[in-house]
Amino acid sequence: MSAFSNLVLSPMLLPAMPASTVVLPSFSFHEFQPLLPAALLAITAMLLMLTEAFSVSKSRSYQAILAVVASAVAGFLAFQNTQLPAGLILNGRGVMDGFSSWITLIACLAAGMSSLLALGFFRQRNAERGEFYGLLLFSAAGMSLLSVSNEFVTLFVNLELMSLATYALAAFWRRGNRSVEAGFKYFILGAFASAILIYGVALLYGATGTTQLDMLYHVLPKALEDSPWLVWSGIILVLTGLSFKIAAVPLHMWTPDVYEGAPTPVTALMSAGIKAAAFVALLRVILHIGDSSAMLLHILCFLAALTMVVGNLLAIAQRNVKRMLAYSSIAHAGYILIGVAALFAGGHLGNKVGVLSATQMANSTAEMLRSSALQGILFYLLSYAITVVGAFGVLAAIERREDDGAPNAWDLSKLSGLATRRPGWALAMALFMFSLGGIPSTIGFLAKLYLFKAGMSAGLIGLSILGVLASAAGMYYYLRVIVYMYMRPPTVTETGIRHWSTEFILAVSAVAVIVLGILPGPLLDWLSQASLFSPN
Amino acid sequence: MIPTTACLFLSAMLFFLGMLGFLLRKNALVVFMSVELMLNAANLAFIAFARMHGGVIGTTGHVSAFFVIAVAAAEAGVGLAIIIALFRTRRTLDVDEVRALKH
Repeated sequence: MSAFSNLVLSPMLLPAMPASTVVLPSFSFHEFQPLLPAALLAITAMLLMLTEAFSVSKSRSYQAILAVVASAVAGFLAFQNTQLPAGLILNGRGVMDGFSSWITLIACLAAGMSSLLALGFFRQRNAERGEFYGLLLFSAAGMSLLSVSNEFVTLFVNLELMSLATYALAAFWRRGNRSVEAGFKYFILGAFASAILIYGVALLYGATGTTQLDMLYHVLPKALEDSPWLVWSGIILVLTGLSFKIAAVPLHMWTPDVYEGAPTPVTALMSAGIKAAAFVALLRVILHIGDSSAMLLHILCFLAALTMVVGNLLAIAQRNVKRMLAYSSIAHAGYILIGVAALFAGGHLGNKVGVLSATQMANSTAEMLRSSALQGILFYLLSYAITVVGAFGVLAAIERREDDGAPNAWDLSKLSGLATRRPGWALAMALFMFSLGGIPSTIGFLAKLYLFKAGMSAGLIGLSILGVLASAAGMYYYLRVIVYMYMRPPTVTETGIRHWSTEFILAVSAVAVIVLGILPGPLLDWLSQASLFSPN
Repeated sequence: MIPTTACLFLSAMLFFLGMLGFLLRKNALVVFMSVELMLNAANLAFIAFARMHGGVIGTTGHVSAFFVIAVAAAEAGVGLAIIIALFRTRRTLDVDEVRALKH
């Protein structure tokens, strides 16, 4: 453990300490290192808000460029942090580990790419307003801070920072019927979910006397004996609140409406960034409260199975491509939940074996299981972010301005014959669909492979097989898009307006999907070194 | 001195009333108020538990309540703006009328 861990009060010490002897904490500089990307994003966001207040310039392109540069620099800082050893920072309020740095990197990637998408998208609609990029960076800062949170109230505040900015982004076309409706639905259901979450936190605090996750880990077994009802209601409420954010079935109802109604670059940000950040929060909470009961593993597996199956089935029935991608994002959340269950099962297995025989071998096996599950989750989140931003980028490119209010704006027929109208876009879209479906030699295939492999080796064989079957069923609606693009005659003559930033994003994502799908070696090496803070 | 159980009972009542209001009421503003009621129920629970624990542990609860208040205020800022935008686009606040995105 690092030098500052002695600053953290142990739970045994806490009750004995009278209030008058509270020592002011002292922080060292390197504790702030994991917060640097978020700080940079937040400061740039404030700067962008100020330029909007004081600048008289009509063009907002410089704001998009500033947002992209800030995301890139923050992403670089986060990348440098990925090798950090795991430990607690800021008196236990936060953690420093490679995992959170990778999530920060994904958040920066999502923010940067959706800023570029937004640049062309809003320019064509004369809807450029400056708050957009500021809010987008605030959201990214929230994601980054959420990934380092180790305390429930910190987690709640950062979750809200991320969500509040996104509610406003979803309703960004404040005169558009659908955008406002999406923002409203997202806001009202999101606020409901966070109220449930914070009530659960209050109950857990009552039962254990702490809101800090690593302390909770130590005192939870005893609290579970003293007041099982309080602890269980707390756990269930907290998990309900977090499952809403990752859109796990049965709390997925908001996803299709919000994804469809929000401006397409915002949808890209939501599916790539928010999903990743919410998964970290869920994962951290589960790792810290999960060891007290094996029941949680069953709940998690059930949730994963339900999310995969329902997400895929509902996506098959969709003719609206944007809604189809929303349902498919639910299905992908289900696949990632397999990884979370595997990570959790690995730890669980290790504990059990440790009690029985306490051999070094068993512990190292559990460690290996954990790290392969972690690698699988990170790789999946990264691959999904790259692919889905590209896919929404294609939708943003072909979207026509006069379709903004129409109910069939993203009907499959809008894609028919895209291969003859815009061969480059069609090829990119085909690649993204292959990757989302999991066709070999794309990044999506490898991501699924590693995730299901981790699930298998953690003993979740039935769940992994169900995952493979579900993704096979999912191929139907991904391939249907390709059929429409390549095998149907064009029904619309308009081709969509080209903008360098949109095409740049499409090209970068398409190349990344193929290159990382064929040569994932260096990335996997980096990911395998990512550390995850664990309380034991 | 009011016993902790009484405070917790009140807080649970508020929470469930908020939940019921969220699920049953039709006016967007009332639905939003129900959510605020749930947040305040959480605040009450935090404070009740803080008094029960007392000392340094109690401080956590008191401070948490302040954070929840701050977040609720920010939420009200964004939420009311969205509700105003909603009213401007369709001249009604009935949540059953908000269904352009269903098919």
